[in-house]
Amino acid sequence: MTRPAAPGPPPDLTAEILRNALCVAAEEASIVVVRSAYSTFIVEGADAAAAILDARGRLVAHSLSTALIQCTSLRSALPYVLRAYPPETMAPGDVFVLNDVYQGGIHANDLLVFRPVFLGGAPAYYTGTLIHVADLSGLSAGGMASDATDIFLEGVQLPPVRIATADGLAGDLVRVLAANSRTPDKLVGDLRALIAGTNVAARRLEEIAEADTPAGLAAGIEDYLAHTERRMRAGLAALPGGTHGGEYRLDDGHLVRVAVTVDGSGGVVVDFAGTDEQVPLPVNSGFSQTHGGVMYALRCFVDPSLPMNEGCFTPVDVRMPPGTLVHCTPPFPGGGRFGTVAAAEEAIFAALTRGGAHDEAGGRPPSGGHDEGVSGGAGGRPPSGAQGVAASGILQAFSISGVRRPWLHMSFDLGGMGARDARDGPDATGALFGGGRNIIPQAEPIEARLPVRVEEVSLIPDSGGRGRRRGGLGTRTVIRMLEDARVDTRGDRLLRPPPGAAGGGPGRAGGYYRERADGVREPLGTKATRLPLAEGEALVVETSGGGGYGLPEERDPEDARRDRADGRTT
Amino acid sequence: MSITLASDVGGTFTDVVLTGADGRVRVAKTLTTPGDPTDGLLRGVEQVLAESGTAPGDVGRFVHATTLATNVILERTGVPVAFVTTEGFGSMLALGRRARVEEERYDLAYEQPDPPVPPGHCFTVPGRIAADGTVLRPLDEEAAGRVADGIAALGVSAVAICLLHSYANAEHEDRLAGIVAARLPSGVPVVTSSSVWPELGEYERATTTLMSAYVGPVMAAYLRRLGERLRGLGVTAPVHVMESAGGVLPAELAASRAVYTIESGPAAGVIAAARQGERRGLADLISFDMGGTTAKAGLVRGGRPGITHEFQVGGKGSFGGRRPGTGVPIKVPAIDLAEVGAGGGSIAWVDAGTLRLGPRSAGADPGPACYGRGGELPTVTDADLVLGYLAPDGFGEFRLSADLARAAIERHVAGPLGVGAVDAAAAIHDIANAQMGAAVHVVTVRRGIDPRGFTLVALGGAAPTHAARLAERFGIARVLVPPQAGVGSAVGLLHADLAIERARTFLAPAAALVSCSAARDALGELTRMLDGLERAALADLGVDGGAVTTRSVGVRFIGQAHAFTVDLPAGPVTPETVQRATGEFYKRYHESYGIDLRDPVEFTTARVRVVLPSYADAPRGPGRAQPAGPSGTRRMWLDGEFRDVPVRTRESCPVGEDLVGPCVVTEPQCSLLIPPGWHGTVDAEGALLLEGAA
Repeated sequence: MTRPAAPGPPPDLTAEILRNALCVAAEEASIVVVRSAYSTFIVEGADAAAAILDARGRLVAHSLSTALIQCTSLRSALPYVLRAYPPETMAPGDVFVLNDVYQGGIHANDLLVFRPVFLGGAPAYYTGTLIHVADLSGLSAGGMASDATDIFLEGVQLPPVRIATADGLAGDLVRVLAANSRTPDKLVGDLRALIAGTNVAARRLEEIAEADTPAGLAAGIEDYLAHTERRMRAGLAALPGGTHGGEYRLDDGHLVRVAVTVDGSGGVVVDFAGTDEQVPLPVNSGFSQTHGGVMYALRCFVDPSLPMNEGCFTPVDVRMPPGTLVHCTPPFPGGGRFGTVAAAEEAIFAALTRGGAHDEAGGRPPSGGHDEGVSGGAGGRPPSGAQGVAASGILQAFSISGVRRPWLHMSFDLGGMGARDARDGPDATGALFGGGRNIIPQAEPIEARLPVRVEEVSLIPDSGGRGRRRGGLGTRTVIRMLEDARVDTRGDRLLRPPPGAAGGGPGRAGGYYRERADGVREPLGTKATRLPLAEGEALVVETSGGGGYGLPEERDPEDARRDRADGRTT
Repeated sequence: MSITLASDVGGTFTDVVLTGADGRVRVAKTLTTPGDPTDGLLRGVEQVLAESGTAPGDVGRFVHATTLATNVILERTGVPVAFVTTEGFGSMLALGRRARVEEERYDLAYEQPDPPVPPGHCFTVPGRIAADGTVLRPLDEEAAGRVADGIAALGVSAVAICLLHSYANAEHEDRLAGIVAARLPSGVPVVTSSSVWPELGEYERATTTLMSAYVGPVMAAYLRRLGERLRGLGVTAPVHVMESAGGVLPAELAASRAVYTIESGPAAGVIAAARQGERRGLADLISFDMGGTTAKAGLVRGGRPGITHEFQVGGKGSFGGRRPGTGVPIKVPAIDLAEVGAGGGSIAWVDAGTLRLGPRSAGADPGPACYGRGGELPTVTDADLVLGYLAPDGFGEFRLSADLARAAIERHVAGPLGVGAVDAAAAIHDIANAQMGAAVHVVTVRRGIDPRGFTLVALGGAAPTHAARLAERFGIARVLVPPQAGVGSAVGLLHADLAIERARTFLAPAAALVSCSAARDALGELTRMLDGLERAALADLGVDGGAVTTRSVGVRFIGQAHAFTVDLPAGPVTPETVQRATGEFYKRYHESYGIDLRDPVEFTTARVRVVLPSYADAPRGPGRAQPAGPSGTRRMWLDGEFRDVPVRTRESCPVGEDLVGPCVVTEPQCSLLIPPGWHGTVDAEGALLLEGAA
């Protein structure tokens, strides 16, 4: 890309052009990874995360449709790469990989790849990509062992290591990784895809620097981040001032507690002091994941059109006490983090909405919002006058693998969203992470590829919490085994279903079940591993409905009639 | 040659062109009449008939590009439809497969868009077919009868049926359609997914089928009305409608296969670019079609427009509206193009101190401020006028007011930003170029294609003003401005070919086709499938000879999701042709992703496209007046200052004259800016080929 040398309009007027180019570069990297990767989670339309960061590790741009917790992981991990490989030791063409949850990673199967972009002889930027690869050892194919009591049972641990140089892949290391995967070819293919993504973004960045000069690019980025930060601060300044408490309890009884302090001038402190200690099961969250959840939750209260870059992070001070559920330390596992991250998000929603923030995204809080100091869980009826927020059913993961042959189906279903003051909760959509049903594989491609039959994918009537506003519905998926298989489950909000708010009822609890050939249904553990499912038996996955909002008897009869007509209630 | 009329109805303007018996092209540009598009269209037809002195009865063919199908889906104005699927999947449409993208992600008040079919109109029937086509459980005909009664009671105008794995075995769908149709009033269409698009992926097949049923009756009524109004003028020629992949369909087929016409309008521009390039020996082209509402970029490689099979109506995303998981997916092939909300009518606005452009458009009504039709918001056209790139009198049906343009920019952009009106206008122009650059980027760089070496073809009223600057952004050194560029898409319709595509899922590892003992069976099955698709496509068009057939297959790495479409030679599929297709796939994959991989591949889909060439002669430009010198100068903003720049009319430029930038060449429908560093020559047909130093 070349730009005419002629003097154009003042540069700040066309800053939008550079900003767009940076986002496009990250987006392009993500597309290259998606289209060239093998990962089971990728093949049905999921997105890969891709990011551009600067030499100081600041997030400049990231691919737009990625779950925020993934991009936060790239941002959190880069400093650890730089600690292991100081920039002056890097050479053009170097590529680094890691998955270490204690160094910003997520869990064994999520590989993070970074590549320095050299301008003027030194790394000036880094491009990063991330996807969930099919398998990297661990107790269970696909990496969802819910009985992993320490990190080593979750899979091969990768601190930051150099995976490629200008001469190509580091063959020794690749062979070790391949030897530790149940699907070595797919693993190597995915690694290539991740590297190709970082290459593409790096090339675009070099082209932009060529057109704008490196100094021009740096100045443009500086303006961009500062502009975003101003807008972020303006949004945060509009939140009700003071300290607001919130908490959310996981299925196993563990508590995530948060205090959100809004200084009224754009700064926010999110402190998880008081959160329960980490546990020797994959329930904990790595710090990058909790940080991503915090950013997601706060973003729901500011202008949704804000770009996601360092300017959003700067005003937010996130305090995650090491050794707690929200910040696991060695050797505690982190693979099942999304229940905890979702709890952290829900706790922040509870804190801010009870503090008086308006519950419409991007909306302004009512003037004179005050701190009620409420710290009761989202369960139970909140004090009168408090708005509260109905909780949502969350992502429920599962994997099925062959007993006699190596095949693997990894998937998840989504719970119903909580209702809000102004509307019913949407059905089975990507609450709390911002995804969507496009990443859930369809029945036909599954059956064309694997020895299973999908018998049902449907909304569960009456699963939305009752209330003036009804919670969103959960789903039921029935998958029949055509040969012997094993099943892993990983869900939350199944033993303690998503509570309603302001008098609304909880959503219907979902669960995992084995349906025997004779039709008898037996409950399976909600965090269970390698459960046998014989040929002819079916796995039934039901997601939880969202909580209702307001008293059920206040529901508009017209809304109730429409629900019956649409089959959402019986 | 015969007389052909063509019309392209856009968001702002309706273009009508006519090639007369003498081969000359006559043009009318009228404002689009959204209430009833045939009003603006008929006005244009009357104009060109009168101007050319053509008797309406002498018109041999009427070719039409319309955004009707898209609008019906976006605005949800289709007919009431019932939907039937396999037991267990009744929530398919309600659940959808949407992604929450960009701003939606942070929306706690997110609302799912209502599915076009209310849950009460969705039915299920027991019966099951496996992925390999075997019947696992017979269709429950008694239950089917009850469903048919339920549908009849609803009084819907159309029915869509999509049963699991019907691409592999259509038996249940056909039987069910018969049972349902028998209990409905005659004339209510019952559309099966296996007849519309028998490809694996139940949700996309269902939406494609559903939209066919939903739009079909509206399209049929529209085309009936258009035919009647044309006959009212005395035009009795057959009506052909452009389909999404760039061919045209007879009107009856366009009505029964309405989903084929969704990208009707945008496709016309790419086809026009391909034709214009072909006439000049240029095979690698980027069509750049900029009208009042949007700008579209498409790619032509080796003379062939790129085709996509992953397309959604109303798709979202900042990058050409092509983000998966948004909008309504339609499996029917469409010209691969990117569309951005940056047209001449796109409105500039200030957002927290940042200048933004679009996606709102002033459209035809009220139009840009300078139209003087009540529009008060500044648009790209206003900026171009203030900068001197457009002439106040050089634009279609009316004069443009520079004062109104400047006032709008001052009030809404320059003032809030604290800059001068000209700086603000220049920034609007630049941002428009950058947004259009994003569209070009999507179809080139993002596909792994280096745009340098391509020729940019400028089409649409606003394109010639922006084309050279846009080319510079990509290092493109050549810009082709065809004759009548301002109505270029409509001109492209004049010689569109009758064409249709058929496809069916064929899932098999390539290795199984070349090496194992079952290879002959599998190869035979693929050959028979391709033969069947070809017969069906020929029957669609009602032709038996003179057609050109292209066969192709989808190829991907086993375990990946995304396939490339690779051509096969005519005749039976052999191990050699399979190997050649595999090699071609490896090459394309390497080109696109920079990964040189040789893993096992599988075939996914068999495709056949049948084209009946129109053999239309090249139209000639309008008669050229005697050569004249420069017709004056205009002050325009170039490189940070106002300069006096020569302005010529297109007719005054003799063939072969070298026009050196800066310079402006005007036509009734557009204004071509040749910036400094560029020069251009007029060829014998009236096209201008610009070359720059980029």
